[in-house]
Amino acid sequence: MTNYMNLFLEIILGILALAAVAGFLRLARGPSLPDRVVAFDLLATVGVGISAVYSMAHNQPVFLDVAVVLALISFVGTVAFARYIEERLKGGTL
Amino acid sequence: MKNLLISPILIPLITAGLSLVAWKSSRVQRIFGLLGAGALMVAAVVLFMSVYTNGIQVLQVGNWPSPFGITLVADLLSSVMVVLTALVGLAVAVYSIAAVDEQQISFGYFPFFQVLLTGVCGAFLTGDLFNLYVWFEVMLMASFVLMVLGGEPPQVEGGIKYVTLNLLSSITFLVAVGILYAVAHTLNMADLSLKLTKIAQTHPTLILTVAAFFIIGFGIKAGIFPLYFWLPASYHTPPAATSALFAGLLTKVGVYALIRVFTLVFPRMPHSFSLLLTLAGLTMVIGVLGAFAQFEMRRILSFHIISQIGYMIMGLGLLASNNPAARVLGIAAAVFYIAHHIIVKTNLFLISGTVKVLRGTYQLKSLGGLAASSPWLAILFLIPALSLAGIPPLSGFWAKFAMIKAGLQAEQYLVVTAALVAGLLTLMSMIKIWDEAFWKPAPEVLPKEGSPSSGPLTPRRLFLLLGPIILLAGLTVVIGLQPQPLFTVAERAAAQLLDSGEYIQAVLSNSQAAIQEFDAVRGVPL
Amino acid sequence: MKSLILQTASRYLMVLLVIFSVFILLRGHNEPGGGFVGGLLIAGAFALYGLAYTPKTARRLLRLDPRTIIGVGLVTAAGSGLAAVWHGQPFLTGQWLPYRIPFLGKLGTVFFFDLGVYLVVLGTTLLVLLTLEEE
Repeated sequence: MTNYMNLFLEIILGILALAAVAGFLRLARGPSLPDRVVAFDLLATVGVGISAVYSMAHNQPVFLDVAVVLALISFVGTVAFARYIEERLKGGTL
Repeated sequence: MKNLLISPILIPLITAGLSLVAWKSSRVQRIFGLLGAGALMVAAVVLFMSVYTNGIQVLQVGNWPSPFGITLVADLLSSVMVVLTALVGLAVAVYSIAAVDEQQISFGYFPFFQVLLTGVCGAFLTGDLFNLYVWFEVMLMASFVLMVLGGEPPQVEGGIKYVTLNLLSSITFLVAVGILYAVAHTLNMADLSLKLTKIAQTHPTLILTVAAFFIIGFGIKAGIFPLYFWLPASYHTPPAATSALFAGLLTKVGVYALIRVFTLVFPRMPHSFSLLLTLAGLTMVIGVLGAFAQFEMRRILSFHIISQIGYMIMGLGLLASNNPAARVLGIAAAVFYIAHHIIVKTNLFLISGTVKVLRGTYQLKSLGGLAASSPWLAILFLIPALSLAGIPPLSGFWAKFAMIKAGLQAEQYLVVTAALVAGLLTLMSMIKIWDEAFWKPAPEVLPKEGSPSSGPLTPRRLFLLLGPIILLAGLTVVIGLQPQPLFTVAERAAAQLLDSGEYIQAVLSNSQAAIQEFDAVRGVPL
Repeated sequence: MKSLILQTASRYLMVLLVIFSVFILLRGHNEPGGGFVGGLLIAGAFALYGLAYTPKTARRLLRLDPRTIIGVGLVTAAGSGLAAVWHGQPFLTGQWLPYRIPFLGKLGTVFFFDLGVYLVVLGTTLLVLLTLEEE
């Protein structure tokens, strides 16, 4: 049972890693600033997922707290970016 | 009363906190600043007396035994430096009451001033290399803020040069610390001193590299020859009180760190001492030559800081000699020179600030006639200026005399010649300032740039501006007339530095038991 | 930016962040956490509030000026070491109350040091963020 569970978790980690790669690609290429911000937010979310899954797979409850903190803080970062973009739109340059 | 050792760090830190709580009232902040500086002075003197009578004092912070925890150590050199820091702190704190305007206070001048003192005292007292790095960073942050406070464009430009070069120095220092920790598994300086003797035999090149990193890292901080250019680029930009504080203290922390590390941690490296001696000679001459091209009071003084740093490093470089008398005299002269220089240089910067208050400019071309209009200031300028140039019977004469005597004993005639030439050129440079600012008649058109700053010159304000200057000038004269007490202290400090046994014994006296206990818990010997 | 969604959400998030930051602060003695991380978290909470409403509202919510908070924090942290001096031990040696306090556990001077760090980090971060936002 635990073996299946572990295999399952490892697969999830792999998928998350792929998502992270995709996020980085968008971050690097993203033609506009909002694209990059969304990619950034995605990376943070993937980070939350990875910490949570890792904490289950390796029985490290500490990483759950990392996930919670990351989830709470990355939100603030995205909001700040959104506000910045809005201000720039008002100024007419993006 | 071992906790006395923490007080020079704690007093300014708590003062900084209290001034922040009182951020609304500049009046309360001024009073706190003065009280804090006064308390620091008292603590420093008590600490010095205690070290002078009872030998090296050690405090294991948090009761963690010595090779594991952070150790604070006060030997004679440290405690003399702390007294000088407190002296500069007190003088500048009084001066700031009159010279720092409301805008700067609202940006946090007083808290950062105290944090800077915390960092400087911490750097002088710590017995741990990584902790030294931390104090350097504390100093760097506080001094950067003080330098750009007010945000005039030249200030920001100078500040960026300052912070970039100093970060480079921090990185070099940190790399050296990292390598040392990797090979020695300890950063306690006394412990390192014991372990490096063995490691130097197995990894001689590695230790030489680390020594070179330390010379570069601390050399930037101290402003020695090829790495000095940040200093004249930045010291003339902040307000006078700030630049006096910097000129008095910051570079000397670098010199102190060099002396500490190269007497305690790497004591047997003749190559690095010869290198330091060469750099010292170049620093003296090039610093003083740089001053010739300048026509701004504080820039001239900044170049002289560099030149004077050369003399201090020369004392350390004389350790290359085999003559034991020359070695002791060299270090003693360096300690004496540091004491003399801190007092005199702070004073000259304070005087330049007073000139700015009176005339609204530092440019020699627009100054003049000060000897006629304010003869008291002219006399007060002459005392430290002549002392800086080494004219008897002022403190600078004895400092230079001891240094040159040590150089002759060590048979390093080239660097002695450089020291004599640099002394002569310093005198010419001081005469230039005297001539232009004080002696020549005032220019017809009074300068428009910068008004005689902030408010009228009430008697109270004048007293606050001149009080510290008179105090420091008086000290120069007293040391000049009675050099023996200070020189005795310097000689004892030098003896203590050259025989690191007492230091190591004081720091590591209880560590054997602690190491055994640690091994017992761990199950494997360290 | 007056988004009703953000404003409503941030009120709930704020509570969560504050509780979590206190949790991290208290846990910091033996496990990951402590004053620095806790202080950053609570500063994040106020920064979010300032973004959703206005920096002015965030300042009003904070009551104290960030500078005062930094000062109190510095004095608390430095003062926590003085308890040891009072007992004749080296500065910063941990002093512990002999009995447990519900919720806090064993209370000692170490906690006050952490609390001081917490306040300094909170004050510094907010001083920077709120000033930048107001410009």
